[in-house]
Amino acid sequence: MTMTVSLNSKKDRFADQPNFSEKKDYRPADVKEKGLVFVGHEISDDRTAMNQFLHYDQLYTIRHGWNSKFFIGLLEGKIMGTRCPKCGDSWVPVRSHCWNLDCNLEKTEWVEMPLTAKVHTWTVAGWSGRSSLKRLPIILAYANIGTSKVAMANELHKMNPWDVEFGMPLKIVFKPRDQRVGAVTDFHFEPADFWKPSPMNPEKQRIKDLVMPVYEWVKTLK
Amino acid sequence: MSRKVCIVGGATTPFDYGPTGFESIEGGAAECIKETQQDVPEFSLRDLDLMIYSHFSVHFSHQLAPEWIIHDHLGLVGLPHYRVENGGNTGGSALYAAALAVMSGHHDVVGIVGWETMDSVSQSQGSEFIAMASDIRYELLVGGIYPIYYAAMANKWMKENHVTEEDVAIIAAKNKNNAMDNPKAQWYRNDHRYITVDDVMSSRLISYPIKKYDCCLMSRGVAFVLVCTEEYAKKVNPDQYVTIDGMGLSSCTIRAGDRLNNPTWNEHYGPGYPGMTEFAACRNSAEQAYKMAGIKDPLKDIDFGEIHDAFSTSEAQIYKALGLADEKTIAKFIRDERTSMQGDIPMNPGGGLLGYGHPVGATGLMSTVECYYQLAGMIPKKHLSKKTEVSEPECGIVNSHAGTGTSISNFILRRH
Ligand SMILES: [Zn+2]
Repeated sequence: MTMTVSLNSKKDRFADQPNFSEKKDYRPADVKEKGLVFVGHEISDDRTAMNQFLHYDQLYTIRHGWNSKFFIGLLEGKIMGTRCPKCGDSWVPVRSHCWNLDCNLEKTEWVEMPLTAKVHTWTVAGWSGRSSLKRLPIILAYANIGTSKVAMANELHKMNPWDVEFGMPLKIVFKPRDQRVGAVTDFHFEPADFWKPSPMNPEKQRIKDLVMPVYEWVKTLK
Repeated sequence: MSRKVCIVGGATTPFDYGPTGFESIEGGAAECIKETQQDVPEFSLRDLDLMIYSHFSVHFSHQLAPEWIIHDHLGLVGLPHYRVENGGNTGGSALYAAALAVMSGHHDVVGIVGWETMDSVSQSQGSEFIAMASDIRYELLVGGIYPIYYAAMANKWMKENHVTEEDVAIIAAKNKNNAMDNPKAQWYRNDHRYITVDDVMSSRLISYPIKKYDCCLMSRGVAFVLVCTEEYAKKVNPDQYVTIDGMGLSSCTIRAGDRLNNPTWNEHYGPGYPGMTEFAACRNSAEQAYKMAGIKDPLKDIDFGEIHDAFSTSEAQIYKALGLADEKTIAKFIRDERTSMQGDIPMNPGGGLLGYGHPVGATGLMSTVECYYQLAGMIPKKHLSKKTEVSEPECGIVNSHAGTGTSISNFILRRH
């Protein structure tokens, strides 16, 4: 490993360089990194306008730094939160320093959260970004995990989209270990085992009417 | 202490998706300035002493510092310039920066050029680009697009405020129909039809309770606003200038879920506010603007507004954050159509984001230009008829809004 020449003794360094011996590569075969490539163009019939097609593909490194334990936790099937030792507030998503101005950026400590949550608010998506279209309709819930003061967004599975309720109890379910990548998509919410949906009502029916065509539309996607 | 700030002119290109006729950004900027000069013949490029550029995402143009292309195209080399970026509130923030520059006494004549070219990628890719202003570590992968975050917030807000899908559909239809009187509006140029509440209700689900016609349009467009001292305004356009009598800029969390139990808001507005439902940064920036402009009762003192209706639901939430109605009155306020052209406080006579379009960096400036036209009596010249002219307005509000309510600005403009 090469180090900056001017930093000749270990104590001069701000922090030791971590060594990354656990490496995983799960890049799909069709994701190529070619950088900038002109891949085509079009010219209007009157030859006054030209459009050019530029393809750009770039690998980014998200360095999670002080937040890393949360994402490593996901690989291990844990939800790690942080907690302020001064005021006791806790969070998922995590904060490395307290948000309370009176705590003056107090460094927080890690706490493992229980795998339970409560719906704060929710929606049923019938449209989404390019990478999610085939999974529609998607229930997105904002839920407070464990003691977290803030709500975290994630998908809610294993229920009809029209049956979601404000305040409903949830459990956190992880993907099988070999499918986890250390991203928030490693887990999702499901209704708590003891929860039962309430009977059909006009609002639920309205949501059902809006959602049914989405199931049909998704079937037409290639 | 500070100097009076005026708006003396402005224009936009037509907003569109795909071919517009102004397809280079620098060409669009030049045309906006030329249109402003037709309205204000005394205004010369030589008068400018600062240029501020308003642009959200370089992802769309795949060009870093694209303002440099526009600036030298305009022949303005040597003039100081910089870009302001603040999500959907980029336009409002650029106006804020221009006003500060004039107020400070350091600059006298400031041009703002704003633009976005969102049709350079597919619609769904474009939605994903914009959503990269959400926290990509926690939210992008699970929500993917802003309408979903807004729908989750609106769903709870509507419940708590007894506002129905039909109520917000009134707002959606109003703005798209207002746009039918505005030849530069994207809804006029593309869809080109009047719609009803039923049309909105039966449009496809985007994210409950938001449907297709509750959503704004992805756009390509450029806008220009000319901000200056009163001395310069009196010199070049004495009969058609407006003053920025109040302005405010405020902020909130990037992730909407982090607004619960937030200690700073709790300290400011009491426990439970804003939750995931209210736009605290809108309320806060409006309070600053009202105080500065001496507005006591916004419903009485403000005649109309051009506000950030990215979704029909957000326009409803903004009414409340601006203090036009409260939890008890908001549903009736909407149902009585108080914000239609016939109402006592028309909102988005220019069509808003739902009708005019939402090329992010140009949007807040478009709202400013429309508000300026109303106050300067220029609507008969700019719109197709007098149907969308507010009758003898003295005071208008411009609202610009970013993220999930993460940055919001408000401006009080008065006819001089
Ligand atoms: Zn603390």
